[in-house]
Order: sequence, then structure tokens, then C-alpha cells
Amino acid sequence: MGSITFHHVYKNYKGEERPAVHDFHLQIEEGEFLVLVGPSGCGKSTTLRMLAGLEEISRGDLYIDGKFVNYLSPKDRDIAMVFQNYALYPNLSVYENIALGLKLRKTAKHDIELRVGRVARILEISHLLERKPNQLSGGQKQRVALGRAIAREPQVFLMDEPLSNLDAKLRAQTRAELIKLQADLGRTMVYVTHDQVEAMTMGSRIVVMKDGVIQQVAPPRELYDRPVNMFVAGFIGSPQMNFLDGAIIREDGRYWFSSRRLKLPLPETFGARFNHSSRTLRQVVMGVRAEHVKLKADSSLGDGGVWYRGQVQMSEVTGADLYVYVELGEDTVIARAQPERDYPRHASVEIGFQIEKVHLFDKETGISLAAPGGDGG
Amino acid sequence: MRRRWSWFQFALVTSFTALAAFMSLPILFIVNHAFKPQNELFLFPPQFLVQNPTLRNFELLFLHASNATVPFTRYLFNSVLVAALALAGVILVSTMAAYALGKYRFHFKGFILSLITLSLMFAPETVGIPRYLIISGLGMNDTYFGHLLPLLASPVAVFLLIGFVSQIPDELLEAAKIDGASHLTIFSRIVIPLSAPAIATISILTFQTVWGDIETSTLFMQEETMRTLAFYVNSLLSGLQNSVAGQNMAAAAGLLMFLPNLIIFLIFQKRVLETMVHSGIK
Repeated sequence: MGSITFHHVYKNYKGEERPAVHDFHLQIEEGEFLVLVGPSGCGKSTTLRMLAGLEEISRGDLYIDGKFVNYLSPKDRDIAMVFQNYALYPNLSVYENIALGLKLRKTAKHDIELRVGRVARILEISHLLERKPNQLSGGQKQRVALGRAIAREPQVFLMDEPLSNLDAKLRAQTRAELIKLQADLGRTMVYVTHDQVEAMTMGSRIVVMKDGVIQQVAPPRELYDRPVNMFVAGFIGSPQMNFLDGAIIREDGRYWFSSRRLKLPLPETFGARFNHSSRTLRQVVMGVRAEHVKLKADSSLGDGGVWYRGQVQMSEVTGADLYVYVELGEDTVIARAQPERDYPRHASVEIGFQIEKVHLFDKETGISLAAPGGDGG
Repeated sequence: MRRRWSWFQFALVTSFTALAAFMSLPILFIVNHAFKPQNELFLFPPQFLVQNPTLRNFELLFLHASNATVPFTRYLFNSVLVAALALAGVILVSTMAAYALGKYRFHFKGFILSLITLSLMFAPETVGIPRYLIISGLGMNDTYFGHLLPLLASPVAVFLLIGFVSQIPDELLEAAKIDGASHLTIFSRIVIPLSAPAIATISILTFQTVWGDIETSTLFMQEETMRTLAFYVNSLLSGLQNSVAGQNMAAAAGLLMFLPNLIIFLIFQKRVLETMVHSGIK
């Protein structure tokens, strides 16, 4: 119950050459919390709306619970959706808002009362049932919208950026509640957001999209540790991954990453990734996350570590962490430092790279050399 | 807290109050005129306010009406029935048209919209003959349909409503669709309640048109029993124009014809304001 299959789904809008969604092919398991994430206009909302039945599918097949639903109307798909602006019926009370879906499905009156009461208790909105939506705060509206979805007890929940209209504190709190709620209900949830933090914290699996194309589908940890291309690497994680242009060269019987300022020996294990490609050396972009850039004052790099001198541009305290922006030639590298220390502007520091943690991307395609097909062989 | 007024606000409020007072003079005149005894009606220079109010004018009007071949109440019944049906019909047709035109994309939508615009440009007189041909062709002469059909399509009402309906967020309709609502449910439970202010406005406009309309009675009704109050009053006045007693009756009839307009306006006006306040527009 509640599994979803996208079989090579496309969405073309009239008069637009490029499809809004291009070959979306994905299996969503029952009870999964799947997050679609990407910048605005990447097709994530369109995908969700196709799943809801609000948008026609141009090509490809869609199955819910193994049932072909391309031409099924939204109300027959056993789904519920929560919208970004809540979409509460302004002329109906909170109770009627939650009950309408049940009423339209000819649920018995006492059953409706029972279910609305239960949902209101779960979401702690029992005292608001008589009010009209315009008498509610943003957070309360959000709960009512959620309640409307839950009361119907659908197989699949669809959420279209439901938290983006809430303030930061309420957003974090509701995020936690949603995770708990989904776990309690055990229903499939498909969640759309442009916020990578939301995606990382909520999703059991994340789909990163760009320009209508799926970039990578993976659990949060894997997405963070093994991004398949530069887009995913840059989109996931805060602060953004450092990218440094350079080339792979072969010298003294081993491979090096080399740029104008840097020359880093690449571990033997990396060799396999480009060994069997043609002997020509290739232009690459090295990606390294802030926590894998070390400051000499804080830590050591181990054998063969190389330190590079740079100048502090600025530093950013986030509470638990301190990020130091270090100017290295024409590049700026962000490094995570021990928060106790102070790094004044223009101070000279030495930084080094945890070489076994770096990512290498093809400069032309942006594809990770570690990804299948990324070695160009 | 005392409110401070800038000189601009003060000037604005003063000038608009003065304008409103000036605009309400005819209403005041109609009310006063109806209660004037005969000598005051013919006073020269004419007096604005009534000195010795009397109900004599109404008495004369009802006496005259009771002597007519068709009883006064029949005209009244016709008028009330036609106004009620036309109001319901116009609201139904216009809201449905506005919902489709304001919220959905379909073939020839632009063409239909421009047709509606085009129909706004015709004066009613220019379409009198085609209307007559259609009504008589359909065999609707001397039926209530003959009164209603020409009034049902109201381009002004449709335009007003399209503007209103298209502002209803799409998400609301989509949420209803997912909730399991049919087009009819979405229309009746969401679109209609949310368009209440616009519906109130078109109700006022439509009622005024229908209540005062004599065209359908003149052109399509040959039987006197099918004609409306507006027609009766109009013919009464034109027939009695030169008689002295006619002035009394005209004064009373003027007020009687005007009152329903005022009542309808006051009812819906309140609704318009209520809805505005509730929706948080203010």
C-alpha cells in the first residue's frame, strides 16, 4: 500500500521546447519519506503535481500501488496534499475545513466527528475548531492544513513546501513534528522543498533535481558523502563545498592534483578512477567540504600533508562551528576551525586538505570521477 | 486615542460629504414630492420640502389603479416574479460563466471574451428588432420567458465576476479537487461564497435594470396581464401627463417604484461591507 512508480515520466508545457520534467524514473517504497529538492524551476513541484493529478503527464506512466493512474482524477488517487499557502477554505470554519474531504466521501457524520476530533488532538488544535482561517496564525493554519490531509487517512501524503511560510523557529519545530508524524502514521510521504537543510533532516531518501532532470537519488548521508556531480555537491551542505580548478597530472609514478597554487598527491585508491582512461591528463575541479580543510593551528594532516599559506578574509561563527574564509591565490577556501580560536581579518594562516576526502569532478561535464561513468572511460 | 487629521484628509472628507449630500437631493425630493398636497405640487417657484404632508396622492393612485381592467396587484406580482427569477438567473449564469472563463483554459476562450466585450457596445435599442424576432420565433410572446431571456445574459455582471473569480487562489480549487469535490461542489461551496461581494454588486445592478425595464413589456407582451409594474406606471404617467390629478399620482408612483431599489440596495450594501470586512480586505 502506498508505493509509487514513475516510469520515464515527462512533462512538456505548450510552447516550451525543453520539458519541465525530463525522464523522471523512480520507485518510491511504501512508508518512505521521499524529499524532492532543487532550486526553483527545477521541476520538483511539477513532478508532485503530476503525482497529485493536478497536472497532466505528457509522456510516461505513473503507478500508485501498482495501479496505473495517469488518467485518474486527484480524488480517486487516495492522496492528500498540503500546499505552501495552506489553501484553507476561508469561508469554512476549521472543523469544516478538516471535515469537507470526509463529507464529500460520504463518511458517516459520527465518524467524521470522531476523526476530526482525533486529528485535532494530535495536532493540538482542538480549541480552534470553531474559528475561521483568517483568525489563525501562520503556524495554526499550517496545522489545520496538515489536519485536513491526515483526517482523510490517505495512502500517500504530498507536501509542497509546507514550511516555507513559517518563521525559522516554528519551521524547525514543525519539521521535527512532521518527521515524528510520518513515522507514527507509517504512510508514504513525498515532500517538495528548495531548502537543502529540510531535505537532509527529513528525507529517508532525497531526489536532487535540476532543470527537470534527476541529478541523484540517495539517502542523506550518501548524498553528502558521495555527490555524483558538482551541482549536487554544491547544493547539498552548508557552507557550500569549496571548488578549486586544476588538473590531474602524473609525475614520479603517481597522480597529483595540480593547480597554480596547489600540488597535492592523490591517494593510490583514487588511481583506479582515472587509471584506465586515456593517458591524457584531464582538467578537473576539486571539491572539498569545509570540515575537510584543516587549519594548522588546530590539527595535523598526517603523513605527506602539505600546508598552504593564505590570508584570512573573514570568519563566521554559527555557534558550534567557526568557518574561516581563507584567500588562497585567486580562490577563497572555507575551512572549519575550532570555535575557541580567533582569526582576525588579514591574519596569515596555514591550511591543508584532507586529501582522502576530496571529490574530483570532470571540468567539462561536472560529473564526479567517482561516479559510475564519471571516469570518462 | 484621538485621531489627527491632516488638512488634506479634512478637505477630502468635507468635499466628499458635500458631494454625497448633493447626490442624495433627488432621493430627498422624490420622498418629499410624494407626500405633497396638490397645491404644493403646483407651487411656483417649487418648494423642495413638503409643508403639509398628506397620503392623498397614494389614495388617488390606488383609486385609479383599482378602476383599471387589470388589477394593480397583477402588475406587482409580475414585476416581483420577473425580478426574482431574473436575479436568480443572472447570478447563476454569470457566476458559472465567470468560473469557467476566469479559472480554466479552453479553446476559443479569447474569442468568447471578446464577444462579451463586443456585446457591451450595443445599446439595447439597436437589438430591439432581433430580440423581438428571437422571442416570437421561440414562441415566448406573452410568457414570463419573454421577460427573462433578454435579461439573462449580462456582460457587465460576467466581467465583474471574472475579475473576482480569477483572484481566488488556484490552490484552493486544487485542494478541493483533491478533497474529492466535483466541479459543481467547487463552484457552489467555494467559488460562490468567495464571490459574495461581487454577487451582491451585480444583484443591485440587475435588480435596478429589471425593476425599471419596460422594454420587454412593451415589445414582447401583448396581453396586459403579462406586463410589469414599471410598464403600468410608465403608461399611467404618460397618459395622465397633462391632467392635474396625474401629477398627484405621478408623485406617489415615483416613490413606490423607487422604494424597492432602495431596499435591495440597502440589503446588499450591508452584505458587501460585511464580506469586505470578513475577508480582511478592509
